[in-house]
Amino acid sequence: MTRPSDIKPREGEVRGTKFEEYVIHDALPELRFTITPDVVREYAEAVEADPAGYEHEGSKVALPSVLAPYLMAVLYRKYPPAQGGIMASNVFRFHGPISAETDTEIVADGRIEETYEKRGRRYVSYSARFRTTDGDLIAEAVNTSTFPS
Amino acid sequence: MQRQFTVTQETIDRYGAINGDRDIIHYDADYAKERGFRGTLAHGLMVQGYANVLAVDLYGTSWMDRGEIEVKFVRPVFPGDTVTVEIDDAGKLTASNQDGPVIVGTAKLRSA
Repeated sequence: MTRPSDIKPREGEVRGTKFEEYVIHDALPELRFTITPDVVREYAEAVEADPAGYEHEGSKVALPSVLAPYLMAVLYRKYPPAQGGIMASNVFRFHGPISAETDTEIVADGRIEETYEKRGRRYVSYSARFRTTDGDLIAEAVNTSTFPS
Repeated sequence: MQRQFTVTQETIDRYGAINGDRDIIHYDADYAKERGFRGTLAHGLMVQGYANVLAVDLYGTSWMDRGEIEVKFVRPVFPGDTVTVEIDDAGKLTASNQDGPVIVGTAKLRSA
């Protein structure tokens, strides 16, 4: 099992990244983790989904947003978070199921898309891709968050 | 289609346990109030997760292969709020609490 807390630098553990330190188009390094049935179940319970998963082509699969707790790890591994970050927007595109019955190894990467200031707030936008170890795309995401100065 | 979810500090803490964060804006009410909020903030991805649950109810497991959700977080969600998530026939997504929309966006299937 790879819990998000195993791979995600957490607020207060190290110095948070300053807005000026984000580099546009910088690649976010490969991140590997394993989604287990226990993670699928715990995530489902946290968002009031069916913890047993969903019937799909003869097997049980996870709510695909089980990837969401890992999303910020793609960014934070290179750019540790400051306290007080707030999400502004998110896009998720799902391309394939994640098993609720067996372990699924995921390989994620990403890049910084843009940084900008608007109405006195500073925003960071980055993209992430989640693939199987065979390279099959499972999901893509784009996140925009604002962090205090 | 719509569904209601009740947010409490307990549900925020439960999401935080699987999310693995330590962002005090979700756990420290005094800090959140210093930032100008009336309490701790629910994780945006938790509320977006509620929308994913509803999307599977609406689209079935096609959501796992062709689902696309796009959201803007327009208002925070606090402990004690009841969030009503709704996806209409065109895929327009709205999540609202007693103050108005907290999430606006779309939840649609891409073409096969």
